[in-house]
Amino acid sequence: MTMLEHAYLIALIPLAASFLILFGGKEDPHSPLPFVGIAAIGWCLVESLGILYAAISGAALPYAQDWSWFSFGMTAANRPFVYDMPIGVLIDGPAVFMLVVVTLVSFLVQIYSLSYMHGDARFKRYYAYLSFFTASMLGLVVSSNLLVTFCCWELVGFSSYILIGFWFERSEPAYAAKKAFLTTKLGDLGLYLALLFIFVLVGSFQIPQIAQFVSRGYMSTAAATLIALGILCGAAGKSAQAPLFIWLPDAMEGPTPVSALIHAATMVAAGVYLVARCYFIFTAAPIAMETVAWLGALTAFLAATMAIVCTDIKRVLAFSTVSQLGFMMCALGAWGLTAGLFHLTTHAAFKALLFLCAGSVIHAVHTNDMRQMGGLSKKMPLTFLTTFIGTCAISGIPLLSGWYSKDMILERVYEHDPRLFIILAITATLTAFYMFRLLFLTFLGTERDKDKHAHAHESPWPMTVPLVVLALLSIFAGALLDHHHLFESLVTGPVSPEIPHPAPPWLGWSVTAAVAASIVAAAKLYGGPHFETAQRLKAAWAPLFHLLDRRYYLDDIFLGLVDLGDRAARLAFWIDSEVIDAIFVDGWGAVARLAAKLSHLFDDLCIDRTVDGTGGLSVTVGGALRSLVARGLAQEYLMYAAVGMSVLAALTWFR
Amino acid sequence: MTLTHHLLLGAALFLIGVFGALTRRNIIGILMSIELMFNAANINLAAFNHFLHPEGVLGMTTALFIITVAAAEVVVGLALVLAIYRNCESVYAEDFNLLKG
Repeated sequence: MTMLEHAYLIALIPLAASFLILFGGKEDPHSPLPFVGIAAIGWCLVESLGILYAAISGAALPYAQDWSWFSFGMTAANRPFVYDMPIGVLIDGPAVFMLVVVTLVSFLVQIYSLSYMHGDARFKRYYAYLSFFTASMLGLVVSSNLLVTFCCWELVGFSSYILIGFWFERSEPAYAAKKAFLTTKLGDLGLYLALLFIFVLVGSFQIPQIAQFVSRGYMSTAAATLIALGILCGAAGKSAQAPLFIWLPDAMEGPTPVSALIHAATMVAAGVYLVARCYFIFTAAPIAMETVAWLGALTAFLAATMAIVCTDIKRVLAFSTVSQLGFMMCALGAWGLTAGLFHLTTHAAFKALLFLCAGSVIHAVHTNDMRQMGGLSKKMPLTFLTTFIGTCAISGIPLLSGWYSKDMILERVYEHDPRLFIILAITATLTAFYMFRLLFLTFLGTERDKDKHAHAHESPWPMTVPLVVLALLSIFAGALLDHHHLFESLVTGPVSPEIPHPAPPWLGWSVTAAVAASIVAAAKLYGGPHFETAQRLKAAWAPLFHLLDRRYYLDDIFLGLVDLGDRAARLAFWIDSEVIDAIFVDGWGAVARLAAKLSHLFDDLCIDRTVDGTGGLSVTVGGALRSLVARGLAQEYLMYAAVGMSVLAALTWFR
Repeated sequence: MTLTHHLLLGAALFLIGVFGALTRRNIIGILMSIELMFNAANINLAAFNHFLHPEGVLGMTTALFIITVAAAEVVVGLALVLAIYRNCESVYAEDFNLLKG
């Protein structure tokens, strides 16, 4: 229980660590501060495992703990009262697994980065960002207040922005960071509206209270549908669902460990997790559930097809992430909360593994292009082995972790809607094909770039140890978590209304057979030293290849929309400046200027001339008089005096 | 011979002086005309003393004072005339118009 009581520290300690790293010490490629971040996340991992152990050994879930955050006065129904906003943690089944996933992947990524990012000019800052990213995600996981969840949600978006654009000196990462940020913000708009709607309706952001509100039937189906679609909108942005997945392939410009973190644990998992967290709203809205399921299936299929033609090793993995997220969403929409979250957990292990393997390869050959690789298995045996395990896991080879979760999803979806099952089964087959294509192109066959091949070498231990740990998890996690339905019993607490229908036994085996066939096809096409068959296929289906290579023109459509908005803004600006301003501002100004000129002219010609004229007249008359009278002759002055005196005398005399 | 005759003499003398002061061009002449006006006043003073207060001498003494002051005044006046003459090479009043505004 003590572990649960300190659950809030899981989010706060990496936050403190990130600030300590950011503001402590000087920027130095050999700074010791990253170990602070590793220690912090290590502690969180221990704490999370403790919580998992407590949950397995029977601690009461969900565990909730609230503190008062802030309060404000307000009026409702003409009565003033003080509203108290709580802040708190809510640890339920999904949260327990999310905590372990996030802390474990973050921990391994941070160790891996020690070697991968070693010598980078902003080594210390990189670790500060990683810790901040992890802290945001952990806050999102534990928070019981949807407002706090939303804040953390935005912080996750911000962290991904600074990490994708970590090498911002080059223009591509800067562009990719902007694109990721803006695309996810588009989805966040819906989430924000949904949250406002929830607060107006329920009067609280607390998840347990909202759940109670819904379970008592106070929320109408229409309202639940609107809210659920809003949340789905946010989740589609974060978890890269169609059509908002356009940011994810570009996000590959960030450092590879960051890609692993984004794809396995912190960023894209957030959307799926949020849907799971608000699952009670979705279950109250059948239309929203169907939307989730079909959106997920569509995304899974589209992303898988795009991955087939991609030649960038990281982008293949990015598309596979989008595809797998589609699987999870589809499972959630098909009432399979357990299946979706189970896949989220196992996917985190093998996707982190695959990304870190890709990082290891890129570290060795300094290129992302699979066409320049090939034959690396002899040079990097450990990386090859771990990549092979990850590829098998994601392809659904029996008894590896991916097989358990994917089987669970397929069974669940088959019961819900066979059409969805067919889409997902095809996608699963494609997944095996493109993943083995990646494996063959990178590690097997002949070395196509002799120079790069000659310089390739196995990575140092901080990179290989996380690979081995994740590879072991990729093999055993599924079996461990499925043992005695451990995962299901923890997740399916009060939330999920799943009714077990035994799926037909041929279902799992038929998909496995299709997967095996597609692996054989991949081996045929890409296993040999030359790819004549692949080239012929490409030539025969050139328009389709082009469509997939251009990612269904979705980027162009979005850019076109942005461009359209740009043009509309320019037009509006032109109207504003050339029409509105010309008439109402400049026009009025001209009229006023004209009036002022007339007034000035009148003032000048009439008023001022009169004033000046009067003065001038006095001056002229005075001057004339003076020159007439005062000639400076003393005798004249004397005569004036005499005349004056005479006049005075005469006046006196004749009075 | 009454007071009236004396006053008429004085008035005539004063008017001659005024006429001379206004009309003479030569400033020496103007100076002399001014002397005439002094003496007209002196005749009035002596006449008033003689016919109105024969026992007193105030009129006589004032006349004597005026004669003295006039002598001093003539000295100053002639000195000024000399100074002007040296500056302007002229003794005609119409040439001195420095006061012209």
